[in-house]
Amino acid sequence: MAEDKKPPLLSVQNLIIEFATENGVVRATDNISFDIFANETVGIVGESGCGKTVTGLSILGLIPSPPGRIVGGSITFMGRELVGLPEEEMRKIRGCHISMIFQEPMTALNPVFSIGNQMTDVLIRHHGLTRRQARDSAIEMLAKVGIPAPAKRIDEYPHQLSGGMRQRVMIAMALSCDPKLLIADEPTTALDVTTQAQVLEQISKLQAEFHMAVVLITHDLGVVAETCRRAIVMYCGRIVENASIEHLFASPRHPYAKGLLDSIPQIRSQRLEELPIIPGRVPDLLQLPPGCRFADRCPRADGLCSEQIPKLAPSGTHADRVACHHPYPAVQAGSAS
Amino acid sequence: MNTVAITTVRRESLWSKAFYKFSRDRTGMISLVFVLFYMLIAFGVTLGWLATDWSDVQGGKWEGMSTTYWFGTNMIGQDIFSRAIYSTKTAFEVGLVVALIATAVGAVIGAISGFFSGTWIDEVLLWLMGVLDSIPFYLFVAAIVFAMQESPYAMHVAMISTFWTGSSRLVRGEVIKLRGLEYVEAAHAIGVSELGIIFRHILPNTTHILLVQATITFVAAIKSEVILSFLGLGVKDGMSWGLMIAESSQEVMAGFFNNFLAASVLMFGLVMAFNMFSDALQDALDPRKVS
Amino acid sequence: MEILQYSIRKLFSGIPLILGVTLISFVLMVYFGPDKTYELLGKNPTPEEIAEVRSQLGYDQPFVVRYVDYLRELATLDFGNSDSTGERVDALLARTIPVSLALTAPGFVLGNALGILLALFAAYYRSTWVDKTIMASAVIGMSISFLIVIIAFQIIFASSYGLGWFPVRGWSIGSIGDYFSYVAVPTMATVFVALGYNTRFYRSVLVEEMTRDHVRTAKAFGVPPSKLFYKNILKNSLIPIITRIVFSIPLVIISGSLLIESYFGIPGVGKITYDAIISGDQPVLKAVVGLTAILFVLAQLLTDIMYRAVDPRITLK
Ligand SMILES: Nc1ncnc2c1ncn2[C@@H]1O[C@H](COP(=O)(O)OP(=O)(O)O)[C@@H](O)[C@H]1O
Ligand code: SF4
Ligand SMILES: [Mg+2]
Repeated sequence: MAEDKKPPLLSVQNLIIEFATENGVVRATDNISFDIFANETVGIVGESGCGKTVTGLSILGLIPSPPGRIVGGSITFMGRELVGLPEEEMRKIRGCHISMIFQEPMTALNPVFSIGNQMTDVLIRHHGLTRRQARDSAIEMLAKVGIPAPAKRIDEYPHQLSGGMRQRVMIAMALSCDPKLLIADEPTTALDVTTQAQVLEQISKLQAEFHMAVVLITHDLGVVAETCRRAIVMYCGRIVENASIEHLFASPRHPYAKGLLDSIPQIRSQRLEELPIIPGRVPDLLQLPPGCRFADRCPRADGLCSEQIPKLAPSGTHADRVACHHPYPAVQAGSAS
Repeated sequence: MNTVAITTVRRESLWSKAFYKFSRDRTGMISLVFVLFYMLIAFGVTLGWLATDWSDVQGGKWEGMSTTYWFGTNMIGQDIFSRAIYSTKTAFEVGLVVALIATAVGAVIGAISGFFSGTWIDEVLLWLMGVLDSIPFYLFVAAIVFAMQESPYAMHVAMISTFWTGSSRLVRGEVIKLRGLEYVEAAHAIGVSELGIIFRHILPNTTHILLVQATITFVAAIKSEVILSFLGLGVKDGMSWGLMIAESSQEVMAGFFNNFLAASVLMFGLVMAFNMFSDALQDALDPRKVS
Repeated sequence: MEILQYSIRKLFSGIPLILGVTLISFVLMVYFGPDKTYELLGKNPTPEEIAEVRSQLGYDQPFVVRYVDYLRELATLDFGNSDSTGERVDALLARTIPVSLALTAPGFVLGNALGILLALFAAYYRSTWVDKTIMASAVIGMSISFLIVIIAFQIIFASSYGLGWFPVRGWSIGSIGDYFSYVAVPTMATVFVALGYNTRFYRSVLVEEMTRDHVRTAKAFGVPPSKLFYKNILKNSLIPIITRIVFSIPLVIISGSLLIESYFGIPGVGKITYDAIISGDQPVLKAVVGLTAILFVLAQLLTDIMYRAVDPRITLK
């Protein structure tokens, strides 16, 4: 893979994020590292609460603080360190070079301002357009994301739009400043099945058109299979596997990833509402085992697993990585379907 | 059976957590000590141990501070310190009676209103609350004072009749939320009567809100008592900070401030301590509170 | 047109409130209230004299007739003459309401404006020492009785024992300068007392709004915090802010000015209400209660129309 030799667009190294809660300090992400290259779509998958949103927010410096705090690690974007970057600098990046769209289309837009008002704000701030220019540009963006009659719709308020339309508005707003990186945090979870497919298609299409990288946070492996080139599997605040889609789906190395994939029904008429169920319980972030966090539920666990934390390490000839003492063997890519 | 067990567990953990949280809240604990100290004084007065000489004319007019009269004497030679201490009892008595009864009344009516929300019962109760909130307070008190033929409890009754609406609205909202919860529906399904559901399953789950609301009502009652007594609509026989301030409003024009200061400082101390106590309680008990 | 229709419907729907307020007050004040017969009679009245006075006062009429009479008075705004002074009640109100408005308006506006400003500061610097200082001061302010503040401010700013800058009491306005000097101490006192409550309330409204999803979205698009506050958060918080402000207007005019006016001897509605309470002047009390209820209904209408202007999700129905 030629482009892997270029420096990554975004590089997250050993990121540790903690939240002070009533019952103690919770480590929401523990030493996570991954790279995102220009123009690629990477999925982040994992159960609810495993730290996906927090990871996305941290890239934009939006961890609510207090109670949250980046304790260690680094986030570099186009060669620039974002951890500890002054707020003012960070604000120039938000919505301009890196955009984020959120899960809740019902509440993510401000209910008391028209969508035009919210969209033009971003353009005026980042691109210094006049109100007139910004409005034209916003209408154009709305048309691009497939909103019918955008010149009319732009003066409507969020509550006048359906969930899918609102999510499109969010996407239009996110792309209006031509970002290099789009973080989409479960953008389709709250939508119905047909709308989900349309919105995803829209994201894929625009990803190519805008030449941007997309981090697609989701708990739907089907979505990942359809849209992503690579997937990062998270479990309990750590990355357990980071592999190309072909490899991951053909032969998952990590027992957790394998469990997820095995439990997907082969023929699905519907997308999954939840990640497939794997027997056992996710450990409490306040009482983590000393070794592998998956040990309780893992069929391959042994003494080593419960003593030593497995490190995320290259898992063979590919750029793939896995954090497991006893990973499943790699199978030739393409041999399974 | 099962539903009861679940709610009990939930309550216990709420209270033990709140207790732990409160005990670690420094301002909360300090204010509690102050409140308890005032309460001891009030008890002492009630039992006849303190300030028994509050109405005796002992010294000369407007004596200054001395070892006999710590805050001096008033216009007719009564001991200001004794009077201020005695008034603590009055304040506590009014505060407690009004807070307890108004909160209890508010809880019951609010629970009924919330439980029957969407029906005419709720409509009528909401109308009643709206009406009581719209009658000018002082006028209402005056009207009750007249109607009760100057009974010493007219002021209490007036405050209770208007203060319960606050708790009632809160409880109503909470009940509407709780009504949809599983264990309430379960109770419904196994045939517990509606009254049973309200009083055994729903109201107990609002006690944390009620406790906070009672402290807020307590403060409101004390503050109102002082103003009403000053206006001649409150305490008639006995002593109160409001009456002391009424007395002092002539004295201050003559440059004698002891009476005014004594009543003001003591009242401020109690209200401040209670406000802080109430805040700490709310921090510990109310999950909705944002800080 | 839509607004007009809505307003008319809304005013009609306020009738139960007006009926409730007037009925309860009427029962308490007029039915259980003081009997003025003997005050108006000389010594040793004859039964005929008694009967005549009672019929003059309307005491011989049945309850329903007297209550309906009251409603008619309210509907025509004709409350007859004051029992104590004989002045027409409508003239009395026309004379005193402007005084109360002039007296309470500056304190009311300042108290809310400063409250919102301080709340914005506190919320902006949430959980820093700025916030903590503002909120601690608010609790202290809330703990000092209005009565104490009035007297203390009078001593400090108006009496010869203090600065002596303003008149001690009274209200004789000949010029705008007079107005400022008479209104100064009452205004300072009301602002002082209202500020603690207002700041706390407005801060909690703002802080709650700060935690909403759309605020996170705004941040994710690079909105600077100052703009976040004055544009996004403030506009979203306007509904509770409007509610608080508008609904306190009826109470400020009557209850709020009662203590201040009777203490400073200012001839406003509060003062005549207080005098009417003390002397049992029923025509005045009936007028004040009835008008307050009407004010509440108007306040409800006003808030609804303002909500509509602020929040596009709200329709007038
Ligand atoms: N505001 C917060 N306060 C306290 N803890 C939080 C907060 N946000 C996230 N966390 C912690 O971080 C963990 C990961 O959360 P999140 O990233 O939202 O999970 P998800 O993978 O579902 O997006 C949660 O389990 C929680 O313990
Ligand atoms: S490290 Fe051990 S317990 Fe953890 S996933 Fe691998 S085999 Fe299972
Ligand atoms: Mg999430």
